Amino acid sequence: MKTKHAVSKLESRLRRNGLQTCLLASFSWPWLLSSTAHAQQMNSGRLLSLEDMVRPIVKDAILLNKDLQIEAPLLADNGSLVPIQVQVQSPMSEQDHVTHIYLLSQRNPVTQMALFHLGPWNGRAEVSTRVRLAGTQEVLALARLSNGQFRYKQMEIIVTESACVDAS
Amino acid sequence: MTTHFNSGHSAADHSGMDRRHFLKVSGTASAGMSLGFFLPERAHAADTPQLNVWIEIEPNNTIVIRYARAEMGQGSMTSAPMMIAEELEADWKKVRVEYATAHENLRTKRAYGDMASVGSRTIRHSHEYLRKAGATAREMLTAAAAQKWNVPASECKASLSRVTHAPSKRSLSYGQLAADAAKLDAPKNVQLKDPKNWTLIGKSIPRVDIPEIVLGQRSYGIDTQLPGMLHAAVAACPVFNGKVKSMDASKVENRRGIVKVLNMGEFVAVVADNWWRAKEALREVAVDWDVGEHGTLTSAAIMAHFKAGMEQSELAVARNDGNTTDALSKSAKVVEAEYFTPYLAHATMEPMVCTAWLQGDKLEVWSSTQNPEATLAVSAATAGVPQANVKVHPVQLGGGLGRKSPQDFTRQAVMIAKAMPGKPVKMLWSREEEIQHGLYRPASLMRFKGGLNASGKVEALHIRVSAPSILATLLKLPLPRGVDGQAVASFNDHPYDIPNTLVDYAQRNTNVPVGFWRTVGHSQNPFGRECFIDELALAAGKDPVAFRLDMLPNNEKSKRDRSILEAVTKAAAWGSQLPNGVFRGVAETEGYGSWTACVCEVSVNAKNEVKIHRVVIGIDPGYAVNPDNIVAQFQGSVVHGLTAIFWGENTIKEGRVEQSNFHDYRMMRLNEMPKVEVVIAPTGGFWGGVGEPAQAPLAPALVNAISAAMGKRIRSLPLKNHGLTLKV
Repeated sequence: MKTKHAVSKLESRLRRNGLQTCLLASFSWPWLLSSTAHAQQMNSGRLLSLEDMVRPIVKDAILLNKDLQIEAPLLADNGSLVPIQVQVQSPMSEQDHVTHIYLLSQRNPVTQMALFHLGPWNGRAEVSTRVRLAGTQEVLALARLSNGQFRYKQMEIIVTESACVDAS
Repeated sequence: MTTHFNSGHSAADHSGMDRRHFLKVSGTASAGMSLGFFLPERAHAADTPQLNVWIEIEPNNTIVIRYARAEMGQGSMTSAPMMIAEELEADWKKVRVEYATAHENLRTKRAYGDMASVGSRTIRHSHEYLRKAGATAREMLTAAAAQKWNVPASECKASLSRVTHAPSKRSLSYGQLAADAAKLDAPKNVQLKDPKNWTLIGKSIPRVDIPEIVLGQRSYGIDTQLPGMLHAAVAACPVFNGKVKSMDASKVENRRGIVKVLNMGEFVAVVADNWWRAKEALREVAVDWDVGEHGTLTSAAIMAHFKAGMEQSELAVARNDGNTTDALSKSAKVVEAEYFTPYLAHATMEPMVCTAWLQGDKLEVWSSTQNPEATLAVSAATAGVPQANVKVHPVQLGGGLGRKSPQDFTRQAVMIAKAMPGKPVKMLWSREEEIQHGLYRPASLMRFKGGLNASGKVEALHIRVSAPSILATLLKLPLPRGVDGQAVASFNDHPYDIPNTLVDYAQRNTNVPVGFWRTVGHSQNPFGRECFIDELALAAGKDPVAFRLDMLPNNEKSKRDRSILEAVTKAAAWGSQLPNGVFRGVAETEGYGSWTACVCEVSVNAKNEVKIHRVVIGIDPGYAVNPDNIVAQFQGSVVHGLTAIFWGENTIKEGRVEQSNFHDYRMMRLNEMPKVEVVIAPTGGFWGGVGEPAQAPLAPALVNAISAAMGKRIRSLPLKNHGLTLKV
């Protein structure tokens, strides 16, 4: 199922839709970040930490690394057109469904590459699109569930055509 | 030392057998045992430890070291394995180097890391994990021996592929120990050797590919032969980005050997039983091209476009120290000059070549590529098959020079293979195609304004660049603050102590595609910078070397600029008496993590013939891994550089490149080559690049000498446009 791709500031949308992220017990933030992009010393853009990427959206809601699958090529010769497919395991019922899927970039000037709005009418929580990547980085898919929790999955995508990007 | 370069052309390879299986730690094979180890810096985000396999030790003590990048003549296939062998304490005479493959890298989730040979980065980006690979294996071999003898590992010493226990005078070879060693856990932390204890790094080691090159046995991409292979010649629209409107191949379709004539939309391909037939037939395929809106573009229009960039109001600011405009207005003396460098095609000795074979949903590719992973990605996307179904067989490149990193030609070859399913097809570009469909070094217009105070000190420097952006157009990357780092390289990071510096950039793209030409921005910007510094020295009435040293304080920031300048000028005996009519020029540059300087001695006679008496060129690469290879790289860079300086220029008329082959895109000839003295002055503590930096100081040093000899400032390249020729 292809869902219409819409880009907008999350917070304003959340306000408009009257949604509130659930404030739940504190938990420890997961860690991360593969060092590949650092190792390549490609300084074409600052690499965000995962926390930088998701905190503005997730705030204090529960965030778990499960139930998501990303399908994308590990290697992309050029970052201008990279196909990405995201699936979320969800019954997509009135009571339990995915409301949003975000695609977040670690390196792009605009972190939020895409925001998809979903509901029980979708039947399946599955989206596919093409994104532009400013070099090798972790790409993150983030799903907001109808109970206010979040699920995520990250994937490193290598943009191979990176010759001399750092000009040094 | 033997080499083994199986480029995968054998029938056995084709039957699905891998060249060599990677044996993991749990391996049971007795014929050979690989040492797997975990490299923390390559750990994947998913926290899955990855076993990485660079080293394999056979029972007969042969050590196979894998090399994961491309070899295009730059010699990294020797120097990268040297770094592993150094820490491994391997007997280099028994080392055999083999290629790692992009498909194996994909399968192991990039156990080999980055495979691209670009940006002079093989050593500077992989020295740590390669040396750790060697050290880890050495520790495991030592531990295996210690266990066998039941002695502390600290009493055992590894050297020349043997572990020795001196107290009991026992010793075992690596071949005897490898099987046991491979069963051990890899140590998490290993101690790398102190540089003062290196026995291999820093020694001039003959390149591993010399015997095959000398015997004519080296298999280049262009040599690929497969059973039943067809050959393709291609022609793209002579105006960049044009398309095929219509095509009439009736004249050639029934010719002997012609298999198919393909209209691929962006280009036309003739597939035949041999390449010459394909190429000759291609000339007689009548193609009506849709050249689009750029069919009238000329070099003059491009220059006007760049000139307009100089005056445009919105400019990207690459560097802004102090208040340059204000300081210039208060300067006692202001010097102003405009420099220009032209478009340049790469003219690699071997033109673009790629063989592709699509069988069902399996694709095999033999591409002369500087970036096997990019080849894999492009091939899979073009054929529409999963990346896991693609094999990229390593081949030696007949030169790369930056042209074979972008994969436009691999894409063409795979498109053709897709149109000829089941048949291997080798696509080879003609020289004309190569010169006329390059990814050219961008032409660049640079304007300099320098302000001197009353005592001749430079107080302000304003550099404005108007040029296309490689990063924005080829890589389609967003430019931080609108600045293409390559377009302003060596300006935004100039080392001189000038309190007011402004560097701004007008991005002026054209329909001429641009790309990475060896040394990239550093191949052209230092020409402007270092020639203009000479103009400032002249205005200040100072010696060019003393003038530079005055602006290079002996601090952390500029100490290496200073030390390489001192080393090279000392070797060239700067300041000593020269014969009548002979003049010197100097330049100092930095780039690719290394520091370089050059001194040229020239004379120019009344017929405007330039005689190059001496070229002294030097580098501080931090650690000089294989000094003789550095000398070779520098000699090669001088050939390449002088070719560009004297003759290199691609001009545009009616939207197309006017030059087409070596008769009008001239290469330097053997008898024209001056003697080159290479100064290697490593100061240690860092790992710099070697393949590209030499071109940076060459053009300004030579042109400064010529300008001194002529008493007239040369501000654009190539020199042929100033009526200058090279005297043999």
